[in-house]
Amino acid sequence: MISEKKPGKICRYGMAIDIDKCTGCGACMIACAVENNVPPGNPGATDLTGITWLRVFKVDNGEEYPRKESVYFPMMCQQCGMETPCYLVCPQQAVDVDPATGIVFQMPERCLGCRYCMAACPYHSRYFNWWDPKWPAGMEKTLNPDVAPRMRGVVEKCNYCHGRWHAARQRAAEAGLKDIIPGDYVPACVEACPAGAIQFGDLNDPASAPAKAAGDPESFRLLVSLGTEPKVYYHSKKEWARRIGDPSRAPAPKEPSRG
Amino acid sequence: MPDTRRNVLKFIGGAAAGAMFTPAPWRLITDTALWSENWPGVPRPLRGEISARYTNCSICPAGCAVRARCVGGQPVSLAGVAGHPLSRGGLCAFGVAGHQLPYCPGRLTEGLVEAAAGAIARAAANCNPDAAGTPAAVCYPAERVAVLDLRPGRTASWTYRRAMGAVKGGLYLTAGGPFSGAAVDLAKARTVLSLGAPVLDGWGTPGNVLAERAHFRLIQAEAIESRTASLADQWLRIRPGSAPALASGIAGALKKAPVADMAEATGLTEQQINDVAAELTQHGPALVLPGDDCLEAWAINEQVGGFGVTVVARTEPPVPEAWTKGCAPVTPLASVADGSIRTLIIDESASGDYIPWGGIRRKLVADNPVVIAFTSSPAGYARHSLFVLPTAVYPETLEDIPGAIDSPRAAFRMAVPLVAAPAGVVNSSEFVAKAVGLDAATALRERADAIRKAARGVLITYADGRSRPTAQVAPDDFWKALNEGACWIDTEAQRAAPPAADWTGPGARPAASPRLPLVAVLTESATAATAPASPLMTKLDRESNLRLGLRRAALHPETARSCGARDGGRAELETSLGKCRIEVVVDASVPRGILQVAASPDVIDICGAGARCRVLPL
Repeated sequence: MISEKKPGKICRYGMAIDIDKCTGCGACMIACAVENNVPPGNPGATDLTGITWLRVFKVDNGEEYPRKESVYFPMMCQQCGMETPCYLVCPQQAVDVDPATGIVFQMPERCLGCRYCMAACPYHSRYFNWWDPKWPAGMEKTLNPDVAPRMRGVVEKCNYCHGRWHAARQRAAEAGLKDIIPGDYVPACVEACPAGAIQFGDLNDPASAPAKAAGDPESFRLLVSLGTEPKVYYHSKKEWARRIGDPSRAPAPKEPSRG
Repeated sequence: MPDTRRNVLKFIGGAAAGAMFTPAPWRLITDTALWSENWPGVPRPLRGEISARYTNCSICPAGCAVRARCVGGQPVSLAGVAGHPLSRGGLCAFGVAGHQLPYCPGRLTEGLVEAAAGAIARAAANCNPDAAGTPAAVCYPAERVAVLDLRPGRTASWTYRRAMGAVKGGLYLTAGGPFSGAAVDLAKARTVLSLGAPVLDGWGTPGNVLAERAHFRLIQAEAIESRTASLADQWLRIRPGSAPALASGIAGALKKAPVADMAEATGLTEQQINDVAAELTQHGPALVLPGDDCLEAWAINEQVGGFGVTVVARTEPPVPEAWTKGCAPVTPLASVADGSIRTLIIDESASGDYIPWGGIRRKLVADNPVVIAFTSSPAGYARHSLFVLPTAVYPETLEDIPGAIDSPRAAFRMAVPLVAAPAGVVNSSEFVAKAVGLDAATALRERADAIRKAARGVLITYADGRSRPTAQVAPDDFWKALNEGACWIDTEAQRAAPPAADWTGPGARPAASPRLPLVAVLTESATAATAPASPLMTKLDRESNLRLGLRRAALHPETARSCGARDGGRAELETSLGKCRIEVVVDASVPRGILQVAASPDVIDICGAGARCRVLPL
């Protein structure tokens, strides 16, 4: 069920990510974890069982040196705009799409932990809490009060820092405004990126970076052939990198590599 | 239906079974989940007034400007300060989680404070037999007291120099190297040749480097496809440990000398070396950055006219005149005679380049040297010290941060405490000063007053983004502003070239050995390894494989097979200097015959640049 429309401007938030600028430093991943109270990895956690709402992958063109080229590729929930797979399969209505923002968000308190949504998500952007969330003694004091920590046994994912959106709406309301002050709401990864590779904005606003990226021939989206209308636009001048968006044309890795 | 007990039970049973086909129990499960969401195992975030405070990050020498979002005075997230002239709004991954450092599980908070104070006082007295009030002490001229400062240029560094100046034969030591007295100006560079420096991976001030990245062409010479190599405009894959040979080859090519030997040593062609040399001269101004201080890079900068343009002398903010009188001179560790230091005080509280222990141990007397480490981590020099004194970590401590290597103008900024330090930690410089009878409690204020008195440069305050000439700020306001998040930046000084260094020729390549068939290449910064790091760093290594975690080493699949190692398996890394335990990661992007290993103190201690090694699966 799509939530009822709320008063105010209808937005369709999206991202434009310039992968030619990304250096893979990981500041976005850490900022995301700090903002959203994602706990440090359990000692048994691996790259399959850890929780990284935003994960940076290293991708290369499959060639050998000196023709080898690589890019770093930040991946988060692609905020599907149509036929949102996780939303469609959830038996508990724990996934919803906010009509005011277009953000797909998870309600962990409704989640049963069946993980149908993880199986359905074509972007592998959903993470299951295999362990109780634990922080070293004293570190609970550094948790963000705008985001509730999640319990073991539920699924979670990127929601464009929805807590920040609520805070921005509150600030706007305090200022007597109906809509969010432009630029007052940006997700933590956008704010943290030292290379300025991640930009955020309203796809309904033609002046926003994502809207401009949507019309750029050097931009692409992931698995667009599935018809999920993802709202994250990647940009690269490298033709081979743009083929990542279409797996049938992407080079197959010869052997596993990190990142 | 007769009203019997059997029928009542049947009705109850049927109702219970039938209820399973209604939504009611399934909705109850949701509600159960809702209750368990608030169970005591899930921590509850603090509540309180939300405010913003400003400081400067002191985790590394970059000293990026920081805006801290606080709840009830407790920082809960950190971000860069947009528009800052030095850090350009950027923060690295370590800096973003810096507010969590005080809660790092491995952090040291206890030490033999009284015993260490006594050891320092005794050592100072032994070298000052004439000092009033000291017992009849014996001074051994060849056995000295020394302070090793891993991050020189701070006010604390001046305190050490003053303290060692007050001790007869006291030494103030730094890691040294030709680039220690130099700064680079990336804004002026059009071509940058990096001989293994991690230019795009935390080197210098990350925000500044990335902001300037579009304006220079980057050539990275490195044995492995590091983060910088993969993002450079050109990657020259050289043999491990052959960066000095490449540098001397380029230096030779600039003088039209033959480069065949250097081409053979590096694995490149003569044409490639000549092309790089031509590019440095034709697309200048050029800048050559060494990975590990190598004098050859220094020589190329001199040859291509980089001195005074892209490489300038590093200047310090003004200091009180009284400090400069009688203070110990800055002495590079390498220039100290072997076996001459009896008592060595190592300040590891402000992390810098980790010097392999073997290089330090040589300088100590053979019998019973006293090593005192000021540190917050048990992983670094604490392993080799007699006394380990715990220190405060960022953001608990008040300290200044010297200008970064990519800051050609002198700067003064302070990391101010955002949270209280635990009981038991000490301030290293004040501790040493007190032990030799010097009062340094107000050193930072005195330094700030000296800067204000010089009345040059500008003061930039973070809360309002204002920039004011220093001369227009009252002394008390200047100090107050620095404590509330501000930065003093000097006016554009004369672009003096740093002093030239002697060029001693290319370093020796590690000799091949059948017993040690692999070459170890250290990767990524050891900064996180010598100081506590946020537990969230698991996101970058274990939970995503974006970086190699500590004590993990990557091998090409074929190399791993030849060693008998398997992905995720435990192994022993052995070099000619020792052994340590590692976890093997199989990675096709690592060249064959190379072991790419995350730099941590125990690994650095046994691996030099391009050390020969072998892997023994456990």
